[in-house]
Amino acid sequence: MPGLNIVRGRCGDPLPKVQCPNHPDALLVEDYRAGDMICPECGLVVGDRVIDVGSEWRTFSNEKATKDPSRVGDAQNPLLNGGDLTTMISKGTGAASFDEFGNSKYQNRRTMSSSDRAMLNAFKEISTMADRINLPRNIIDRTNNLFKQVYEQKSLKGRSNDAIASACLYIACRQEGVPRTFKEICAVSRISKKEIGRCFKLILKALETSVDLITTGDFMSRFCSNLGLPKQVQMAATYIARKAVELDLVPGRSPISVAAAAIYMASQASAEKKTQKEIGDIAGVADVTIRQSYRLIYPRAADLFPPDFKFDTPVDKLPAL
Amino acid sequence: MKIDCVCTSWYASVRTLRPDSLMEANNDVALDIIITNVVSVFRTRCHLNLRTIALEGSNVIYKPEVGKVLMKLRKPRITASIWSSGKIICTGATSEEEAKLGARRLARCLQKLGFKVKFTAFKVVNVLAVCTMPFHIHLIQFTKNNRPIASYEPELHPAASYRIKNLKATVQVFSTGSITVTGPNVRHVAMAVEQIYPLLFECKSTMR
Repeated sequence: MPGLNIVRGRCGDPLPKVQCPNHPDALLVEDYRAGDMICPECGLVVGDRVIDVGSEWRTFSNEKATKDPSRVGDAQNPLLNGGDLTTMISKGTGAASFDEFGNSKYQNRRTMSSSDRAMLNAFKEISTMADRINLPRNIIDRTNNLFKQVYEQKSLKGRSNDAIASACLYIACRQEGVPRTFKEICAVSRISKKEIGRCFKLILKALETSVDLITTGDFMSRFCSNLGLPKQVQMAATYIARKAVELDLVPGRSPISVAAAAIYMASQASAEKKTQKEIGDIAGVADVTIRQSYRLIYPRAADLFPPDFKFDTPVDKLPAL
Repeated sequence: MKIDCVCTSWYASVRTLRPDSLMEANNDVALDIIITNVVSVFRTRCHLNLRTIALEGSNVIYKPEVGKVLMKLRKPRITASIWSSGKIICTGATSEEEAKLGARRLARCLQKLGFKVKFTAFKVVNVLAVCTMPFHIHLIQFTKNNRPIASYEPELHPAASYRIKNLKATVQVFSTGSITVTGPNVRHVAMAVEQIYPLLFECKSTMR
């Protein structure tokens, strides 16, 4: 072969290394359509008949013909599964695969990767939970990674896998900067808030990480869009909540309750008034809690609104509960 | 009616922290640490028949599903869980001496019921104390300053918890300035309060 220089390795065995004879330092460019390795400096075709590693068949999602001619399966997930390369025998189709009584000859598909079966189950569960609240792929990947780390550590082995999965999902949302409240995670999981909270603390200790504190602004866009409030009101509510926390009018209150009260105040001052009950439903706070937090911010209402806010109801006409 | 007695009063000397790093004269602040609960365990070196205790003892509650008897004493106000193996857990005392006294009295009670009780292996396991700071505390700033040791989850609990590893004590800090300290004995609890005071003083809230 013209371009093949045999370079002697350290132990004396010849290591075939493909190089251009004129430019040994040049990195070769692969032209996969023609199956060539080309030197970029002089254009010499160095390697020939390189095996094409692209896919054999193109698959389109709309054609769901019964036969998928692809002879390879799904993409492997080597990061998470530890790469099992087992072969499984599927159910037979012809007549020869059934013995006398009508039972299939090769009965069960051997259990694949029994050590990771629980992990695969958990990944499926995480995917289902995340799908319910429309979480993007990056959060799901992060959750899977966290779960794998926790599972391998085995320090939380006794806990229910679903609880650990839910807690991992919560942590992943936090770490990505888009926290979900515990109640929102509870809504898509069968585990109680208490158990998820416990697992959350245990996982943080086991993985020795910490998460940022939640702020009121993290939830504004979600709550306001669920309530159908316009952008002006959302911005006003964000400003009110932030100001309230800065002025320390609501010490010891959960940021969710403060956010809900701020949304209530902003919506009551605008054209779209929402009741405490509606806001409580969306945010997962009781309406008495909203009332309590609202009472704390009401006295300083005039200072909390943004300076360029258009009032539909003036500040002194705001409901005082 | 709960008896809260002020058992210890400590004078903590605090240096006010200033960026010009001049050390001011010591401000002496008196902080009352009130011990609310002391939990202790001890062993009677004999097997106890719970049914006999339940039938003949006074002020007892028998819990067969768990396998223990609760006996409440009036004089040092103490509740004890008595197991049939002879291990007894005493809760509700307000000082270490009182815990020992109550445990001894309890052992005497059991002796009177006819068991060959030997009072051994008395150990104070947990002490819970509360303390109030004269200022309110900004919890978010406190958590940020003490990042890995302090943890604050407003959705789960309104207090920030600070674990002191070498003292094995946990301090829960509330935004009103009250703190609760749990530790293995009274001395550790006092040391924990001394240790945490400067950290709390840094994050005091001036908005009250």
